[in-house]
Amino acid sequence: MLNFQTAINDQKNFSEIKLNEISPIRKLILRGKSREFLSAVGKTINILLPTEPNTSSSNGEITIIWLSPDEWIIFSNSIDNQDFNQIEEKLVQNICKTKLGAVIDVTDQFVMINLTGNKIFDLFQKGSPFNFNEFRNKKGATTQTLLAKIDVIIQNKDQNDINVFVRRSFSRHLYSWMSDSASRL
Amino acid sequence: MFVISCPYCGEREQSEFKAGGEAHIERPKQPTELSDDEWAEYLFMRKNIKGIQYERWNHAHGCRKWFNMVRDTSNDEIKAVYKMGEKPPSV
Repeated sequence: MLNFQTAINDQKNFSEIKLNEISPIRKLILRGKSREFLSAVGKTINILLPTEPNTSSSNGEITIIWLSPDEWIIFSNSIDNQDFNQIEEKLVQNICKTKLGAVIDVTDQFVMINLTGNKIFDLFQKGSPFNFNEFRNKKGATTQTLLAKIDVIIQNKDQNDINVFVRRSFSRHLYSWMSDSASRL
Repeated sequence: MFVISCPYCGEREQSEFKAGGEAHIERPKQPTELSDDEWAEYLFMRKNIKGIQYERWNHAHGCRKWFNMVRDTSNDEIKAVYKMGEKPPSV
């Protein structure tokens, strides 16, 4: 097992909003187009890839986010999930080796930041061009958009519980921007 | 700033997109048989009209897919959005 190092290593508690990095979380990017690809993935991980734009699906172990018509991100729901190795191994066997699509480990590439509290969308409002009106009431909704001019993937996990994925090299800057903005909400 | 309806993700703000120039320019089948002038015509020359223009756009900060758009360059009104490979609508 790799020795994961956290990117941010900080936790912020404001009165209306809490920020912290969830680490280590295993993440995979899946790419493929064909119908065979979709069914092979479904059989391998026992959960269908969401084909509806801006949605996610989840079972007890993993969550899958729709990124584009041929791209998905899969991540484990729990920290240091040993079963995820098996999922990855099976996907590599059934998807990569059969040339149906691509499986890329992006555990180190993306940093997952969890936000809780009732002023999350006021924070997003300060730096995102996305319209969160429908998003905020739809559990499982996802979007890829900009936040403080940084590419992010946002997932509405639950009411007042949001996951943000950001590329590691941007993560500290985004975190510092979010902390600063949240402190003045 | 205007809102663009990505054919995959739905309505998003313009800052998420990148413009990719004129659409429906076909690459010559036999580039070796072209004169330098004809090749330069294909490679560099683009229309820049005031009015309805067919353009390629990329949802760079979203799904990262390319698509086509029919836009009136005089007032930024978007007449149609359609996927790559689809026939351009008559506007």
